[in-house]
Amino acid sequence: MPLLEVRELCSHYGDLQALFDLSLDVAEGEATALIGANGAGKSTLIRAIAGLGSRSRGAIRFDGQAIEAEPAERIARRGIALVPEGRMLFPSLTVEENLRMGALCGRTGHWTLPTVYALFPILQEFRHRPATQLSGGQQQMVSIGRALMANPRLMLCDEISLGLAPVVIEQIYRAFGDIRAQGTALLVVEQDVTRACRIAQRVYCLLKGRVTLAGRASDFSAAQIANAYFGH
Amino acid sequence: MAWLETLINGVLLGGLYALFGLGLALVFGVMRMVNLAHGEFVVLAAYFAVFLATQFPGVSPLFFIAPVALAAFGMGYLLQRLLLNRAVATDDPLTPVLVTFGIAVVLRNLMVELFGADPRALDGGALATAGFEIGGLRIGWYPVLVLVLAVLAFGALQWLLQHSRFGLVVRATSDHREIVRTMGVRPRHVYAVVMGLSLAFASVAGLLLALRTSFTPFSGVERLLGAFEVVIIGGLGSFRWALVGGIALGVAQLVGQRLDSNAGALYAHLLFFAVLMVRPNGIAGART
Repeated sequence: MPLLEVRELCSHYGDLQALFDLSLDVAEGEATALIGANGAGKSTLIRAIAGLGSRSRGAIRFDGQAIEAEPAERIARRGIALVPEGRMLFPSLTVEENLRMGALCGRTGHWTLPTVYALFPILQEFRHRPATQLSGGQQQMVSIGRALMANPRLMLCDEISLGLAPVVIEQIYRAFGDIRAQGTALLVVEQDVTRACRIAQRVYCLLKGRVTLAGRASDFSAAQIANAYFGH
Repeated sequence: MAWLETLINGVLLGGLYALFGLGLALVFGVMRMVNLAHGEFVVLAAYFAVFLATQFPGVSPLFFIAPVALAAFGMGYLLQRLLLNRAVATDDPLTPVLVTFGIAVVLRNLMVELFGADPRALDGGALATAGFEIGGLRIGWYPVLVLVLAVLAFGALQWLLQHSRFGLVVRATSDHREIVRTMGVRPRHVYAVVMGLSLAFASVAGLLLALRTSFTPFSGVERLLGAFEVVIIGGLGSFRWALVGGIALGVAQLVGQRLDSNAGALYAHLLFFAVLMVRPNGIAGART
């Protein structure tokens, strides 16, 4: 049984329908990439899984339990953490306070302040600074660290490489190995198709709210992915 | 010497004004919401204290502070949970303004219906008039008590927000009320506790003021005006500076009263006007 099962999900973004009968699986401990052009419905799907979406139809099961009707607060306690688009750090809080927010849902495990600092050592140096005074890459580390503090079984990452320098992106994705080693599965929205196929075992391509390609990342040629991406 | 006395008593009165503003500033800072019924709740708390005084004659009104604050907290919690959370969720700043304006009108008329329109006051007994002399200055115990309570309230709130887990959650919710939900925080509950705290502070101020001046069901507007002036002089959303704003108003009022015994409050309003002209964002406005 997959850790996360999405079945025939229909969801709206404002007044527009953004997802059409979408189905998707994420296996325990695996990294799955979600690719697709702007407006394909990737963020709507991520928000729906996290419980932040508007009313939707269809089923979302996590560890066999139906969660589609649950509020975001309860989904968080079940072990789904979100690294939101635009990082959404708390400007009134220091780096360390931001990280501590992640631990509020009360799940214990490998990830604590010391282990997060070991993963991103630069954060320890800046831990008493206001979080939004850090560089973009460092802020992204705070956002990922904050999600890890919940010791999630599934971490949703929405566009974490947006606006960052390639060298910084590499540095952040290198941490994903350590994160998966602790048993956390990942569902990653990534604009860069090559990078997505490299970091993930499975890949889903979305186009206008529907899945146009799904399977092992290594099974597809660049042309196949391009077709699914642009819908030629 | 008389002027120094006026100044000191002004500082002490300012503590009371600061307490009015504290609750208003807290709610605005966390929820970006203005509670126009703030003054009515202050008056309601004063009526509750008068009711307690009739039930327990001879007991010092100071013993009523805890029950009044507790009742106000519960009322604030329920009010936010049942009504205001929905108004805040519309994301339109006008909705809570209209809703709380409506609540203010309803409360005012309800109080007239229940308690009548006659002025009431809380009998402070010896406390209201007792004082002490220091270096030839006569200082009342009552204003000293008020200032001590105000400073304690500000200190406690400051500590709570900066160093407790609850404060961490409140600050984060104030920043991103949707994202905190993905960390297991329920913003509706956080907002309700904040409203409860706001009304608890306001009710303590209402009780203390009732010891000094009489009030009617219509006194709320005046209280709200005072609270607004405190908050705006301090800088909107910065409750730290509300204490300074309150003291400034208290001093202005008593100094004004000495110059012109009929128009003390006018001088407080003039100070407010002057601050608005010079620093439209309040004392803390330029710092943040």
